[in-house]
Amino acid sequence: MSGGLDGTAPGEEFDDRGARPFDPGLQPERTALAWRRTALALVVAAVVGIRVLPTLLGDWAMIPAGAGLVLAVIVLLASHRRYREHHVRLTTSTSDRIALPDGALPALVAATTLAAGIACAVVVVVLALGV
Amino acid sequence: MTDSDRRFPRSVYRHGDEPDARFSLANERTFLAWIRTSLALLAGGVALETLGLGLQPDLRLAASVLLIVTGILTPIQAWLGWTRSERALRMNRPLPAAHLALPLGIVVIVVGVLVLLGIVLA
Repeated sequence: MSGGLDGTAPGEEFDDRGARPFDPGLQPERTALAWRRTALALVVAAVVGIRVLPTLLGDWAMIPAGAGLVLAVIVLLASHRRYREHHVRLTTSTSDRIALPDGALPALVAATTLAAGIACAVVVVVLALGV
Repeated sequence: MTDSDRRFPRSVYRHGDEPDARFSLANERTFLAWIRTSLALLAGGVALETLGLGLQPDLRLAASVLLIVTGILTPIQAWLGWTRSERALRMNRPLPAAHLALPLGIVVIVVGVLVLLGIVLA
């Protein structure tokens, strides 16, 4: 991948399509940033879970809390790869019917968030009952 | 769509044709916004109960439970909304309505009123 932004003089045409954004509205980049702030929010939630759940529920609760942190980091890394995949497919395709990555990562994020919600419900029930 | 297209979920990708990529990206961002909304609701619900904040306990618990129940429903809305919108884009049909948007607004208002009463009656 030579001829990137650094090697291109002002006004000169990009000789490499991969060095140019797909869309002047920077849609893939905005989507990548949305993924990143969501993944970081999940990381923070998991870290709070590691602090709160074991003291409230017992040592076993470290297992779901730790699994949450592992999942959150996986989402962070996978979303970075997803952006690269978006960029490569969108800038190299000659068709206007471009197949993008599928819904597996969104499904994982929705499931992780749902699990976090159930953990929060358990926390509030335990606190309310004063166990 | 080709027969070799094995993308998940099949309920989306077996229909229609590839939409404008920018629409799919916007749909993804909407999904992620719902996820962050869920995390914010859950954080509020847990914070109310753990911090206490000197509110009247029953009202505080009601607000907390309402926030967490809504925070559990929003990732479901996020996923179903994403799949329905992506399918609609592929089939060139009108986008589905966000059915949880109005109830969510009402929940936030009710939680605000509960917290306010919790402060006044404390």
